[in-house]
Amino acid sequence: MSSPELDIQNLKVSFSTPRGKLTAVNGISFHLNRGETLALVGESGCGKTVSALSILRLLPEPPAEILSGKILFSGQNLLSLNAKALQDLRGRSISMIFQDPMTSLNPVLTIGEQMAETLLRHTAMNRQEALQKSADLFGRVELPSPEEKLKHYPHQLSGGMRQRVMIAMALACTPRVLIADEPTTALDVLIQAQILELLDNLKKDTGMSILIITHDLGVVAEIAQRVLVMYAGEIVESGPARALLNNPLHPYTKGLIASVPKLGTIKKTGARLEEISGNVPSLDQRPSGCAFHPRCAWAIEKCKTQKPELRQADAQRQWSCHLEPGSI
Amino acid sequence: MTTEKNIPLLEVRNLKKYFLPEKKFLEEQAPPVRAVDGISFTLKAGETLGLVGESGCGKSTAARTLLRLIEPTSGQVSFCGTNLFDLKETEMRSLRRKMQIIFQDPYSSVNPARRIGHILQEPFEIHGHQDKKENAEKATQLLEQVGLTPDHFNRYPHELSGGQLQRVGIARAIALNPKLVVADEPVSALDVSIQAQIINLLLDLKENLDISYLFISHDMGVIEYFCDRVAVMYLGKIVELANSEQIYNSPQHPYTTALLNAIPNLESGRIKQKTSIKGDIPNPATPLKGCAFHNRCPIKEKQCEEEIPPLKEIGPGHLVACFLK
Ligand SMILES: Nc1ncnc2c1ncn2[C@@H]1O[C@H](COP(=O)(O)OP(=O)(O)OP(=O)(O)O)[C@@H](O)[C@H]1O
Ligand SMILES: Nc1ncnc2c1ncn2[C@@H]1O[C@H](COP(=O)(O)OP(=O)(O)OP(=O)(O)O)[C@@H](O)[C@H]1O
Ligand SMILES: [Mg+2]
Ligand SMILES: [Mg+2]
Repeated sequence: MSSPELDIQNLKVSFSTPRGKLTAVNGISFHLNRGETLALVGESGCGKTVSALSILRLLPEPPAEILSGKILFSGQNLLSLNAKALQDLRGRSISMIFQDPMTSLNPVLTIGEQMAETLLRHTAMNRQEALQKSADLFGRVELPSPEEKLKHYPHQLSGGMRQRVMIAMALACTPRVLIADEPTTALDVLIQAQILELLDNLKKDTGMSILIITHDLGVVAEIAQRVLVMYAGEIVESGPARALLNNPLHPYTKGLIASVPKLGTIKKTGARLEEISGNVPSLDQRPSGCAFHPRCAWAIEKCKTQKPELRQADAQRQWSCHLEPGSI
Repeated sequence: MTTEKNIPLLEVRNLKKYFLPEKKFLEEQAPPVRAVDGISFTLKAGETLGLVGESGCGKSTAARTLLRLIEPTSGQVSFCGTNLFDLKETEMRSLRRKMQIIFQDPYSSVNPARRIGHILQEPFEIHGHQDKKENAEKATQLLEQVGLTPDHFNRYPHELSGGQLQRVGIARAIALNPKLVVADEPVSALDVSIQAQIINLLLDLKENLDISYLFISHDMGVIEYFCDRVAVMYLGKIVELANSEQIYNSPQHPYTTALLNAIPNLESGRIKQKTSIKGDIPNPATPLKGCAFHNRCPIKEKQCEEEIPPLKEIGPGHLVACFLK
């Protein structure tokens, strides 16, 4: 097998806060294969965005601090690159679509100018060529009347259009890796379906790899080949999307899947949804042992004190739980 | 108040709410935003009606107008037979206890400087119950009713998680035994693992307290689970209204079909059918001529570009606004 595009090893990130140094990402390891779409899912605050931002060193340091780990891209450890080398890499080899499209566009520049700027920075194009290429890219992401759109300001576009502009910008230099942080969360299902289809087509055309962050398991089923499930700063389960969604091993994954109302399930009167009890733990109140144990219906004594290690279920699946598969 | 069997709990007739943008000096008055553009429906006692549609289609505006939290442009709303828009503010206030609302964002809907206990005593104080001890007791009972504990009484909103705070919002809404609760995206801001808890709580309260809901969401899965009937809104208008089974098993409006097809399906892992819908929602201030959906509609014909299709009954209780049905 060829070596992965991205290989993250034992990444640990903390924040200095008035309540002390808090660990947001607690030693996660994963890889992204060439041409693959990998989904990162988990509850709000579990560390998805922090993990993604660490890859490109986009976290404010301080308060953030990368305590340990390696991020290997083409055999290079990104954590040991200098600022200039990182700058060259960002937007060219690895691009990111940010969680909030409103704040990541400059409100006083036309979107054409912003697009062209990205191209001028990373390529040898002149201004005219950059604008032409921008219009091409807008067409590619199916923005209606792309030439005209160059002259628009961000506020003149709908949320769905702004998100497509962000995608066009991220794709400007045909990156090898695209990191998309909740790219469709702010959008309606119709626009969401268009964007997912677009990402999938672009991936097929260019052979890029996608790391998509989402909390929507439907989106995962739709677009990802593999899934990582995070809980409280750690990866608790990973595996091929189909297998993981059909047969979750970790109680948290199982709970998440069960608590989504599924279309077409006839509601019986008085029927309740399956729910995960309890609340998401905050950073300074991470439980001992398995972080999920206070909410876990199957927790045993051991779970309160002993942290489960990630174990291998088969060649492609890992999970961290003291219980045997089949017993939950 | 007794609800007679044959009077609907809520009857909305041709309700409109237009927002007029502020006129700037020396500039022409911009056209109004037709946020809610003539909607009609009824809600029977004990029933749950879902209101679904894309962002900006007017769901929240409809909710706030029909509760008269904002004044309507035109139309009628009667609640247990009383026309709300005829009432004076004082009369409206006493009726309000019977009609409550739960908001999407639990943090912005409570006063951050007040303790949870106080937030829950407010409804009683506003409606003339001044016995502090009794109010505090009732507030404690409410906490338990929504699955919180008495030790939440003295906490501040920022000390609670989103899900816990949404429970407080629900407790406040049910404090005065309402007949109608409008739930405006009550779970959208919550973590997936918490959403099911809140939906179950709302279902339990419906069983125990005889509440009718107008349930607003953009999530077709949640709506199907929760609602007896569903109204689908598009750009300020209802385009389809039917019971859940009809909507989900035989949707008639092409927009409803598109919505259902676009939902990523956990089980099959494929959109049922590649979406044929392109383009964006038109601006509600400059509506299209004809059917508002025609620019995105896969089956439109000439007539759709010229005339507005009326909402008509095509089967028992199944209303659709489409020329081609
Ligand atoms: N600049 C910061 N200072 C302190 N804590 C931070 C900072 N940025 C993030 N955190 C904390 O790190 C944790 C992980 O945050 P992160 O944004 O990665 O969550 P997430 O999984 O992306 O959640 P969401 O689904 O809500 O986007 C959270 O508890 C968050 O409060
Ligand atoms: N106070 C206001 N002034 C002007 N326009 C408004 C006002 N409130 C809402 N609108 C507009 O009315 C339309 C309907 O908005 P509304 O908030 O009712 O939509 P919604 O269906 O609840 O959307 P969402 O799903 O995003 O909550 C939108 O175009 C919105 O911009
Ligand atoms: Mg995030
Ligand atoms: Mg709304």
